[in-house]
Amino acid sequence: MMAEAETQKDDMLLEVKDLTVRFPVKRGGIFGGKSYLYAVDDISFEVKRGETLAIVGESGSGKTTAALAVARLVEAYSGTVRLGDEDFLALKDDDLRRARAKVQIIFQDPYASLNPRLRAEDIVSEPIESLNPLGKSERQTVIDGLFKDVGLRPEQQRLFPHQFSGGQRQRIGIARALATQPELIICDEPVSALDVAVQAQILNLLRKLQKERDLTFLFISHDLGVVQHMCDSIAVMYMGKIVEHADRKSLFNDPKHPYTQALLSAVPSVDAKRRRNTKRILIPGDPPDPINPPQGCRFANRCPIAEAKCNESQPPLREIKGGHKVACHLA
Amino acid sequence: MSSDAEKEFIEKARSPFSEAFEMFRKNHAAVAGLVVLIFIVLAGIFGPYVYPGDPFEMVWAPFSPPGDEGYFLGTDYLGRDLASMLIHGARVSIAIGLSAAFLTVFIGITIGALAGFYRGWVEEVLMRITEFFQVLPTLLFSMVIVALFGATLPMITLAIGLVSWPAVARITRSEFLRIRELEYVMAARACGVSNGKLIFKVILPNALPPIIVQAALMVGSAILFEAGLSFLGLTDPNIVSWGQIIGSNREYILDASYTVTVPGLAIFVTVLAISLVGDGLNDALNPKLRQR
Amino acid sequence: MTVPLLKVENLRIELATRDGVAPVIDDLSLELGVGETLSFVGESGCGKSMTALAIMGLLPEKVGRIASGHIWFNGEDLTKADDARLRQIRGNEISMIFQEPMTSLNPVYTIGEQISEVLRRHKGLSQRQAHAKAIELLDAVRIPNPQARVDDYPHQMSGGQRQRVMIAIALACEPKILIADEPTTALDVTVQAQIFDLLRDLGQQTGTATILITHDMGAVAEMAERMIVMYAGRKAEEGPVDQVIDSPRHPYTKGLISCVPHLLDTLTDERPELTEIGGIVPSLRDFGKNECLFASRCTIADEKCRANRPPEAEFDNQQRSACWHAGQV
Repeated sequence: MMAEAETQKDDMLLEVKDLTVRFPVKRGGIFGGKSYLYAVDDISFEVKRGETLAIVGESGSGKTTAALAVARLVEAYSGTVRLGDEDFLALKDDDLRRARAKVQIIFQDPYASLNPRLRAEDIVSEPIESLNPLGKSERQTVIDGLFKDVGLRPEQQRLFPHQFSGGQRQRIGIARALATQPELIICDEPVSALDVAVQAQILNLLRKLQKERDLTFLFISHDLGVVQHMCDSIAVMYMGKIVEHADRKSLFNDPKHPYTQALLSAVPSVDAKRRRNTKRILIPGDPPDPINPPQGCRFANRCPIAEAKCNESQPPLREIKGGHKVACHLA
Repeated sequence: MSSDAEKEFIEKARSPFSEAFEMFRKNHAAVAGLVVLIFIVLAGIFGPYVYPGDPFEMVWAPFSPPGDEGYFLGTDYLGRDLASMLIHGARVSIAIGLSAAFLTVFIGITIGALAGFYRGWVEEVLMRITEFFQVLPTLLFSMVIVALFGATLPMITLAIGLVSWPAVARITRSEFLRIRELEYVMAARACGVSNGKLIFKVILPNALPPIIVQAALMVGSAILFEAGLSFLGLTDPNIVSWGQIIGSNREYILDASYTVTVPGLAIFVTVLAISLVGDGLNDALNPKLRQR
Repeated sequence: MTVPLLKVENLRIELATRDGVAPVIDDLSLELGVGETLSFVGESGCGKSMTALAIMGLLPEKVGRIASGHIWFNGEDLTKADDARLRQIRGNEISMIFQEPMTSLNPVYTIGEQISEVLRRHKGLSQRQAHAKAIELLDAVRIPNPQARVDDYPHQMSGGQRQRVMIAIALACEPKILIADEPTTALDVTVQAQIFDLLRDLGQQTGTATILITHDMGAVAEMAERMIVMYAGRKAEEGPVDQVIDSPRHPYTKGLISCVPHLLDTLTDERPELTEIGGIVPSLRDFGKNECLFASRCTIADEKCRANRPPEAEFDNQQRSACWHAGQV
């Protein structure tokens, strides 16, 4: 038992503990008081090497902010991010620059994520140049390899971004993310801006690359169908908090948190059997004001089963069975 | 078959700037403006050699109408050859226009880029300074500078540059604010690209199009500004500029209107040509960036 | 059989492009019955929005025009109607809601004013009547506390609420047809569920027929009775939703369904590769060609597909498919 826990520990690539990100919100006037929006509020999760953790949630849930904080593109207010055996948040200057090679990002919008002034080859070589400069011929070999791996032809290296289709652009973005041989890749809604027929190509490519290169993905998405297909475990976020965290099968087949249940039931499905068996749980109203979150459970005001105690104290994220964690008083 | 088409397509892999040039070429008004502008610049550079003569020398009776005694634009109130003055003046006017615009763009980009990139207190301070310069009465301020530090060419250029940079700074800042949030900038940051490189290699090239347009228009307005200052007598008496010709002849506008009309036309045509070019640049540079 | 509410016959819409005129809608026919929900499905650029704009008489001026065909609405040919008549029909008998609820409301007027505007223009109500009716409509689209919210400006509402306001405006004149162009694409999935619920209930109450334009097969399955799959300006397949999804008769439909990972009733460990539809949508230049435009991406295409445009094959379960090999798919 003990030994098993030990090996599991070794397998962890990313361990996030008590991560909080807050943004100052101005309240009118130069001298108006400052208040803070807690976009990510004290969350913890971990990802095993070679696996995919999906963070799902609706707009405003803080899923993207959490991922950007892990990559240190948004400043974390408190918490730790342990990557391998390094404390990623504590790194400074040159150490940070070097460590950045280990975490790369694939962005959502293939039209905004590529610098329109650069040729495809320069976009892909940008991280190589800035993080581990290589000789010219060596660099060309690396770029050729990357283009091949993501399914682009060598002669396309000379083209500019606007000469590619959305799917091809996303392939360039993937090649760029792979260029530094990262350990962790954050996929921020990598297919939601693409046409459905192209989505399949990109998703298949990501899974193929993951298998070949033993990549670890942190997969941010609102599309539960895509998440179901891509991930090994899932964290559901609501208003900056993780409300449920479990492996793929137990989360989708046996969701415990009322928000997760509502979220899953809201997804329209082509499966007639699922449509028959799922009773849609409508959650009325809107999330509360994120600047003034309620004292108790943040979902309480929309929750179909909320009780008095839900408004009093925040439910902690606790394990209820084999790795399935829920933050709900009533689960 | 499709691979042939593809190959041809790849052969044509052009940079966004070369596509902009293509669009510019199709804009006839802009091309006409550019031709006129090139002609004026050439006249400014080589004119004095082709049409020698000291513009300050009295060559013939004052107020000779155009065509008189071989002076095809006539003479001014001191009997100086207007054609010679115009050609020498072109050099000065355009030099002031270009250098003032360059100064404007230099200050404007520096301030705007720093404010837009670093945000926070840097932005607060720099934008307050920008606003300060923007609310100054421009003509009065530049007159004060010229009056205080002497009416020399560099001082006039500096005065014009100092009062016109806020517009460029504001444009640069707003472009930086927009572009710094784009994902390719974030991607560059994720690759550990340094701040200096981010500003100059990543963001600035993408922010340039509206700045280029503004700079082109700035050349025109600097020429006008210089003309205005000269008209008021705030100019180096040892050099000729178009505005100065108008200024020194202004009392005779009714008796010898050509002495004022001719340099006025020169300014008008030059500024118009610059505007046309600026407009063409605007059309050529903007749609490309907005595509999707 | 009764006369359909809307009947589109052999519609061809031409768009002027740099390379000449391209038929962005090519020989499209369809029918919509009273109170029915029909869905257009396809990738971007397949012409599904263009069809909606044509029905609304809102084709981009000078760029797009109806080259041939008819749009019969209640026995009246809309392709022959003049602008005044089309304006009368728009918003009154046929109305539309768009994808982007953030930009389709005017930010300088309260939502009450924007709803009243429509009522006064089309129904000739007085200011007071229109205001009262606006509150009623907000209540109908399930906006809580409508008395107070009616004086809100658009920016004071969430995306979902704004889309409800758009629905309220669209339904203000009790139209016979509501065209919803990707109404929930910009919204969260729980909000989408609310909007779908609302649309379905309102449709049942008022007998309004709905045309739902979407790329999401799940939404189609959830919302529509019949569907039309469009590809490159042409109808690829048409039929009752359940049958089409169960047994598609066009390789494109089949690809569209199986290229998306769906939530199934019970999740298993199995995760097969997604079916890819290789290649890309043909360019506008190729739209008019006498061939199957899907042939270049199709796995079962042969010479025949590249030589001739396939006619519609009809099956006895009301499914139609424009594919030479519809029987084998």
